[in-house]
Amino acid sequence: MRVKDIAEKTDWRLFADDNSKENEVQGAFVGDLLSWVMGHSSPKQAWITVQAHVNVIAVGVLREFACLIICQDSQLSDDMIQQAKEENLPIFLTDMSAFDVCRKLIELGV
Amino acid sequence: MFYDLHIHSALSPCANDDMTPNNIVNMAKLLKLDVIAITDHNSVSQQAVLHKVAKRKDMRLIYGIEVQTTEEVHILCYFQKLDDCLVFGKIINDNLIPIKNDIRYFGHQLIMNENDEVIAEEPKLLLNSVLFTVEEVCDLAHQHCGSFVLAHVLDRNNSIITQLGFIPLHLEFDGIEVKSVIEKNKILQTHPWIKDTVWLFNSDAHYLTDINDAVNQISQEELNRLWRNGS
Repeated sequence: MRVKDIAEKTDWRLFADDNSKENEVQGAFVGDLLSWVMGHSSPKQAWITVQAHVNVIAVGVLREFACLIICQDSQLSDDMIQQAKEENLPIFLTDMSAFDVCRKLIELGV
Repeated sequence: MFYDLHIHSALSPCANDDMTPNNIVNMAKLLKLDVIAITDHNSVSQQAVLHKVAKRKDMRLIYGIEVQTTEEVHILCYFQKLDDCLVFGKIINDNLIPIKNDIRYFGHQLIMNENDEVIAEEPKLLLNSVLFTVEEVCDLAHQHCGSFVLAHVLDRNNSIITQLGFIPLHLEFDGIEVKSVIEKNKILQTHPWIKDTVWLFNSDAHYLTDINDAVNQISQEELNRLWRNGS
């Protein structure tokens, strides 16, 4: 499953360039405490969070996530979108809860 | 000057009900502290009375509040003028998520007069987040001539490190609160770009017996630097 496949099969808003849409998604990780996420996540996961601080991008790059999924329309700043673009890290934005996002990803076969 | 700039009064739900204005100031006197700040969670409702009590007992008081941001990061904001603190505090309180306090779980939120008599109880739960990000609280504090200090940065709960992984590069904080020199060195090691900030060693006292002894000193010059970004 690639980022572009998730984009096709959901109505989640995607901020990404064509290149990063090819990122392969292997599993997912849910967490809002960035120190915890840094310590427990794995590369190529989709990271599901409501945390929308610009530090999320740094952690996302550090942990080599396939993409971020920001839940419940948590407010993305322009700074965050800009930095994610520079770092080639795709961001999905959805009004769904983390639970519903997980259910959707499982449905899609992630 | 011996200081302790992070003490909670009985207004904070998590603080002991013995943390009355007179008890805190008397304890600070006994401990031979020269300057204190009482920083309740998301509220300044006790500051005006604290000002009166401290003045009566000749204890130097800095006005303060501990704000919880949207990211659940705890921030200490300090003010040199009571009016600035009260205006800032009102904005914080107006933007606090409106959930009623349940005293069974969180404890009382007592507002007292200068004789330590309970005159009101804050109905809104103070142990909660405001609708402002870390950066927004920073700007807001500076706009009101306040100081913005990262609280207990290495604590496992509600510290900027726990919530956001590291201190954001462009955040214009005025100081960092740590528990020990070991913690200070850890932060410096992991954040080599931090060159010039004010380091505070406070108690975060919730009980009278937790208030710091006269061990940590700060010069007037260093204290003034807390407000170098306030306009």
